[in-house]
Amino acid sequence: MFRNQYDTDVTTWSPAGRLFQVEYAMEAVKQGSAAIGLRSKTHVVLACVNKANSELSSHQKKIFKVDDHIGVAIAGLTADGRVLSRYMRSECINYNYTYESPLPVGRLVVQLADKAQVCTQRSWKRPYGVGLLVAGLDESGAHLYYNCPSGNYFEYQAFAIGSRSQAAKTYLERKFNNFTASSREDLIKDALIATRESLQGEKLRSSVCTIAVVGVGEPFHILDQETVQQLIDTFEIVREEETAPAEPEAAAEQDAATDQASGADQGGAGNQGGADQGGSPMDI
Amino acid sequence: MDTVTESQRTLYPYVTGSSVVAIKYKDGILMAADMGGSYGSTLRYKSVERLKPIGKHSLLGASGEISDFQEIMRYLDELILIDNMWDDGNSLGPKEVHNYLTRVMYNRRNKFNPLWNSLVLGGVKKGQKYLGTVSMIGVNYEDNHVATGLGNHLARPILRDEWNENLTFEEGVKLLEKCMRVLLYRDRSAVNKIQISKITEEGATVYPPFSLKTYWEFSAFKNPTVGAEGSW
Repeated sequence: MFRNQYDTDVTTWSPAGRLFQVEYAMEAVKQGSAAIGLRSKTHVVLACVNKANSELSSHQKKIFKVDDHIGVAIAGLTADGRVLSRYMRSECINYNYTYESPLPVGRLVVQLADKAQVCTQRSWKRPYGVGLLVAGLDESGAHLYYNCPSGNYFEYQAFAIGSRSQAAKTYLERKFNNFTASSREDLIKDALIATRESLQGEKLRSSVCTIAVVGVGEPFHILDQETVQQLIDTFEIVREEETAPAEPEAAAEQDAATDQASGADQGGAGNQGGADQGGSPMDI
Repeated sequence: MDTVTESQRTLYPYVTGSSVVAIKYKDGILMAADMGGSYGSTLRYKSVERLKPIGKHSLLGASGEISDFQEIMRYLDELILIDNMWDDGNSLGPKEVHNYLTRVMYNRRNKFNPLWNSLVLGGVKKGQKYLGTVSMIGVNYEDNHVATGLGNHLARPILRDEWNENLTFEEGVKLLEKCMRVLLYRDRSAVNKIQISKITEEGATVYPPFSLKTYWEFSAFKNPTVGAEGSW
């Protein structure tokens, strides 16, 4: 995209009927590091590439638990993502207080989309620069949604956003027909492989990625680093060929099920081999 | 030229409904109430419907101030309307409606402007039966059988003895009629025009009103003061 005379503020249409500021906001999403989501009938898995800026720093938190039955992975301006996660948590808790029942994901997603739309129609605001993959369960089953800075939302069987997400999407497009009937373990395996695709040659280790799961009877939680590394090793995903059959490490995952998000992503410093690939300071 | 000096708050009820009694039975919930609206001690209105279906899954019965009940119906109509407008395969079940009503009643109580009602909320969703009650001060609980007002004192003891999980529709109706009959004899604000309603997975039905057979020829009533000491 090139600069033009219609792109200064969000309240100016271009003659072709475009809002350039909104499109630029969607560019910010593409610059963020990859986030991937996939769902089966009973589970939804979120995965993201987590790179620390330097060996000295910790990773950015890109996956947020919104409620026991909803979680979100973000790509783009993490600060905007944090604010929206806080809004989502607030909505969930208010709904639960009034109705003693979990907020249906579809309704939360619409509220989020309407919130984003407001920022595309006010001269004193700017669009949120973050794309959200919302994973959740409600009485109509497991859902994965993508919320865009434009205020649009879409439901997906599997999706990837952020930089080099096309590689992941290509992999997912090949495999998605089987996802509905997938087991939890196979779904996680596919998420890890898709993440590896996004890393483009770099070694897949638990220090560069984060995995989170939500499912029937399983509250949303982020898997801890050890579990993820075990899964990577078990599935032998590091190698190019997908030789290993999915051995459900049931015991390991039971531990993960009781684990909460607290220390999951922060501990990885010092493992960084391959360094920075994106230039902009807002890169995640 | 008096402008409004004191804000309007509910101080006492005017037109009131008497007890509501409800039980869980095999297929869902059965609820009963009479159709009376009393104006103090006058049994003024005789065709007040105090049992109403809410959405697809719930039934609401109310005792207490009738105008406040009508206000609650307006809140619930709006709630269900918005719920339907989402058009997304999700719907508010009896648990959600009960909790919503609890919040409404408790918040009004906190402002010293209560909705002067005791409510019974029952329903079935996805095979799960639900029966709860909320009072005008926001006290709420669920149980297998609930009642409001004098029903708590006259009907629930009967239900504690005779209720079981597997009542058929006929057995449930008989049990409710027994409770309503006792209320008819003993509650002075009861009228002999009863409505029974049921809710099952298929939906809600409010049956047309009927009256209970009563018997007043007990010999003990003929000369009530015979043998009493110190009566006048």
